[in-house]
Amino acid sequence: MTAYTVQMEQLPGLFAAWSAQCQVHVPVALETGFYDFSPWRPGTEIAFEYDVAYNPLKRFFMPPREDMIVFDLETYTAKPVFAAPSILLFGVHPYDVKAVTQLDQLMESGSVDQNYFSRRDAAVIFAMTPLAVSDTAFWASVGADKVDQGFDLYWTKIGPGTFHVEIGSGRGEELLLAAGPLAPATAGSREAARKAQVRAKTLGASRSLRFDWRETPHVMGRSWNSSLWHRKAEKCLGCGSCNIVCPTCYCFDIREEVDEKLKAGHRFREWDGCMLNGFALVAGNHNFRPQASERYRHRYMRKGKYIFDKIGELGCVGCGRCVRACTSKIADPCEIFNALWEESRNEI
Amino acid sequence: METAPVTLPSNETCLLSAKPRIAFFDFAGCEGDQLQIANLEEKLLDILAHVEVVSFREIKTGHADDYDIAFVEGSITRPEDEARLKDIRAKAKVLVALGACAAIGGINCLKNFMGEAFYREVVYGPQAGWYRTYAARPLSAVVPVDAEIPGCPIDRLEFARVVKELLLGRTPWLPDYPVCVECKMAGNICRYDLGKMCLGIVTRAGCGACCVTEGAHCWGCRGLFPSANLDAARQVMDNAGFDRRQVQDLMRFFLGDTRAGL
Amino acid sequence: MKSRTFSPYVPRPATLVSKSPLSDLVTLYEFVQDNGKNLAHKPGQFIMVSIYGVGEAPFSISSAPIKESNVFEIAVRKIGAVTKALSELPVGTKVGIRGPFGTSFPVHEFVGKDTLLVAGGLGYIPIRSLLHYQLRHRQEFGRISVLIGTRTPKDRIFTDQIEALAKGGDVEVLETVDMPDADWKGNVGVITTLLPKARVEPQNTHVAMIGPPVMYKFVLRQCREMGIASDRIWVSLERRMKCGLGKCGHCQINSLNACMDGPVFRYTDIERLEEAI
Repeated sequence: MTAYTVQMEQLPGLFAAWSAQCQVHVPVALETGFYDFSPWRPGTEIAFEYDVAYNPLKRFFMPPREDMIVFDLETYTAKPVFAAPSILLFGVHPYDVKAVTQLDQLMESGSVDQNYFSRRDAAVIFAMTPLAVSDTAFWASVGADKVDQGFDLYWTKIGPGTFHVEIGSGRGEELLLAAGPLAPATAGSREAARKAQVRAKTLGASRSLRFDWRETPHVMGRSWNSSLWHRKAEKCLGCGSCNIVCPTCYCFDIREEVDEKLKAGHRFREWDGCMLNGFALVAGNHNFRPQASERYRHRYMRKGKYIFDKIGELGCVGCGRCVRACTSKIADPCEIFNALWEESRNEI
Repeated sequence: METAPVTLPSNETCLLSAKPRIAFFDFAGCEGDQLQIANLEEKLLDILAHVEVVSFREIKTGHADDYDIAFVEGSITRPEDEARLKDIRAKAKVLVALGACAAIGGINCLKNFMGEAFYREVVYGPQAGWYRTYAARPLSAVVPVDAEIPGCPIDRLEFARVVKELLLGRTPWLPDYPVCVECKMAGNICRYDLGKMCLGIVTRAGCGACCVTEGAHCWGCRGLFPSANLDAARQVMDNAGFDRRQVQDLMRFFLGDTRAGL
Repeated sequence: MKSRTFSPYVPRPATLVSKSPLSDLVTLYEFVQDNGKNLAHKPGQFIMVSIYGVGEAPFSISSAPIKESNVFEIAVRKIGAVTKALSELPVGTKVGIRGPFGTSFPVHEFVGKDTLLVAGGLGYIPIRSLLHYQLRHRQEFGRISVLIGTRTPKDRIFTDQIEALAKGGDVEVLETVDMPDADWKGNVGVITTLLPKARVEPQNTHVAMIGPPVMYKFVLRQCREMGIASDRIWVSLERRMKCGLGKCGHCQINSLNACMDGPVFRYTDIERLEEAI
């Protein structure tokens, strides 16, 4: 894979060149002590050492609320709405890249989600090897410490002011060289990057699944009747926070509103979550998942089995956001998967 | 997310005339919700083209008793309020509770936890004996309510949406999920991550988590969402280090009329 | 970057050409697409109907696919926002439609075989699409038995057609109601009371069933006891279809999406799914 070495002092020039073409978002430290992606401006301090972005990155490709169509009540016609803002996400951790590539697959299968890809195709992703791990994450144990696709560039910090940058796409290389030629990577820088990535994996292993993540669908297959679902769901607030902060959750509701003249309107989709009581409710008030425990189970089945059955990947990338977001402290996929594995490991 | 279980009384009674006549009323409250409506400005003018306002003290003079939709603000705090509200109910095809006091009892219900002699003295002073008063309650404790626009104050855009929905013959939509959903959509840092107490975990969404977005916490002014798990919520607040009294104070602030033990 | 012009979320205009009441709450609506095209649906599929400003909801198509006619029908119970708005639409009004969506009853597999159609309540609506297809291609199919169960006599829909069909003698029609009124002279009891009365050769019969959620378990058990193989049983499952495109997640049955993998499933494909029946 083509790679270059980039020095810290070359970054301002690069960022200036990029931001002339698109809106650049970078990880920054918030006043509250958390990190999140924020638009880059000259002088923005990039938090290279961030542990996890507080909010999931899916909002760049599938915003919390997004217009799908606009309609005219007088002519009774409708038109599609597509948005394609040019954005560049700098410093995305591998597990979040993995979440995006998973969304790519799911949004492409069956009927292609044009709204998603309209945004996705206009976005550039620069991945970055993590230098820190949040205390709720477990991405290293679900194979999300490193990705080999889904990025345009892959940055690894190999010294106090030096980066090893792998090329993931032509667009990525073009942007990397936007401010002038760069030194090609050397055998030494490649080795340093490899070590940094191994270090990331070690770092990320502070919390882990106790079994090979590929076994998860089997574990889940044995766990439908576990009492764990009831024990945990008793404390469930049904607030949907675990869904909403999950980088791979993409369920949505569709609603609409007309303008004040009652002549035209827009239909939009809005983030929804299977943990919310009304999610599986049909007209006539029949709820296909009336119990909190059923909704709770569905979420883990989806992460651990259903998505896996579709695309061969775990539906959880181990980012740990749901663990933190759940105020009842019941949304920990690592804990749940381990407990179910422990419960059922002796079953065949 | 399903429409909250607010249903119009019957399909026949909600058939509105081509240009529905609307009226505003208030009981015990600050009229802050009607002020929000006045603040809609341009949007309000567009909406008003579709309706005829027969009574709206904050923006016009005059009053008529012939109306289709009644927007009622304030909670019921005196026995004589009941007769007036029942009269409004009898005249209106659609009755909408406007704001926290009308929809959930709201802040007026604070007095329900105090001794009558005490709050009479606080409110009326030496004239305490002149007035009749009883436990504050939402409109729905007295008459059937067709739709609610909760909040203290109401979200004026929600009011605009509800009016449009009524004009289109729809049952107004109310989120049946908690503020947390909208708070996360807004990208806010969870108050519990900052060691603060917040009622977003039990409160009906629809406000866009505006208080948290502005740096405060949720006070519960939109009432409980239908499947709120209060036991779990209490445990969350307890685990976050808040004592029973602090939790009770916050929950009674707006949610005093809920049947849940506070 | 390619610019997009197509969106599967954009409804096509269609015009309401007729409406007629089927019961107190259920109305039959006939539409034609404004583009003049045949809907080209298959029995068992559904469409999304939009009433702008109110919303969009899924409806089973109740008419058989007919090449020569562009009219298609849905039968709708007034129960939510969209259905209420539909009930107030005058003939000649436009709506938006998307679809048809989802799987259908595999009529080619039924060729030369007997079919047992089991319809509980509004389940008769999609069953009717299949039945009318079969009646139009009558010679291709063996014996056809239709079992219809409703809560009360007042809830019966397509009554005249069903009675005519029963009198015709070509199709075996058995009806029952859970709660009779004074005038009801027919069978009383849940739909499973009809199955033993139907003339069915288990070895040569395909079953199609649709009804309220509670119905399936009992009818399936009876079919099993009668010796009808599970891979010859087709069930149509209602869920909360919102997008119709397998994306929004609302209609999920374990790992399947009712809107794309269903609504019609071969029973063997779902019998191990805990959330299906």
